[in-house]
Amino acid sequence: MRALVIDDSRAMRRIVSGILGDLGYETQQAGHGREGLDVLEGLGREELPDLVCVDWNMPVMDGLQFVSAVRSNPGWRSMTIMMVTSESEHTQIVRALAAGAHEYVIKPFTADAIRDKLALLGLLPQEAAL
Amino acid sequence: MTTLDSGERRRGSDTRPLITELIDEGTVESIAQEAWISLVGEDEVLVPLPGGPATDPVSSWVDVVGPWTGSVVLTTGRRTAEELTRALLREHSPAVLEEEDVADAFGEIANVVGGNVKAALPGPSGLSLPDVGSAPALRNPADLCRVELQWRGEPVSISVQGALPPLPAPR
Repeated sequence: MRALVIDDSRAMRRIVSGILGDLGYETQQAGHGREGLDVLEGLGREELPDLVCVDWNMPVMDGLQFVSAVRSNPGWRSMTIMMVTSESEHTQIVRALAAGAHEYVIKPFTADAIRDKLALLGLLPQEAAL
Repeated sequence: MTTLDSGERRRGSDTRPLITELIDEGTVESIAQEAWISLVGEDEVLVPLPGGPATDPVSSWVDVVGPWTGSVVLTTGRRTAEELTRALLREHSPAVLEEEDVADAFGEIANVVGGNVKAALPGPSGLSLPDVGSAPALRNPADLCRVELQWRGEPVSISVQGALPPLPAPR
């Protein structure tokens, strides 16, 4: 399975990618929403990630704008979007889900929290589910 | 007889909350502990003991803008900030850390702590991107909630400090 991790912090991209890698994902990374869209635009339909983990507060294009942009493209509807962010106000979570995110993980998180969310979404690679 | 409002009186709307009315040290410490365990490592704890002033201090912070406006500031020594960066990056840590690596990782800790402090305050509020450098000036000593901790024996302080000067005293 493939994942795209979008966060302006390189440290956080490495942490999230590491967790997903341990679960069996192949990951790509981007430093903000616009860069994330560039990655997706460069991929063929068969190469699109199954999962996108995206931060909220980022320069250039934030996570909410990214989610809206992805949801406005019918060719990208198959991707599951999980926001991974320190924005933990209830109203923010509602906004993200309304924009089209499927799940919301609040920083700080544990590897188990990510694993549990993926299990709920049916996106746990088979080897990790065993 | 008509009383004219000269506009000089202090109105109820002039008041704004101080951080000490909104959050206490225990909550800030608990947010920091959770961030440490998740980001720095499961066995990494912050010891709630003042460690004195940091040598060669560096700060990372995020600004909160809303019903309460101010900054959430982490301060520690530069070498401790580098150690924190290595702990965050784990096996991905480069042999030689660049200034940019430290700013990124130390800033991300402020972002996580600040985001969770913001969630404990009245909202809605906005959160800035993290910044790293010399701590923002303390504008109002009464609008400050500070916890002094130690990590691996080195001082780490977390200040939730207002960005606005004190209001003039009512006449």
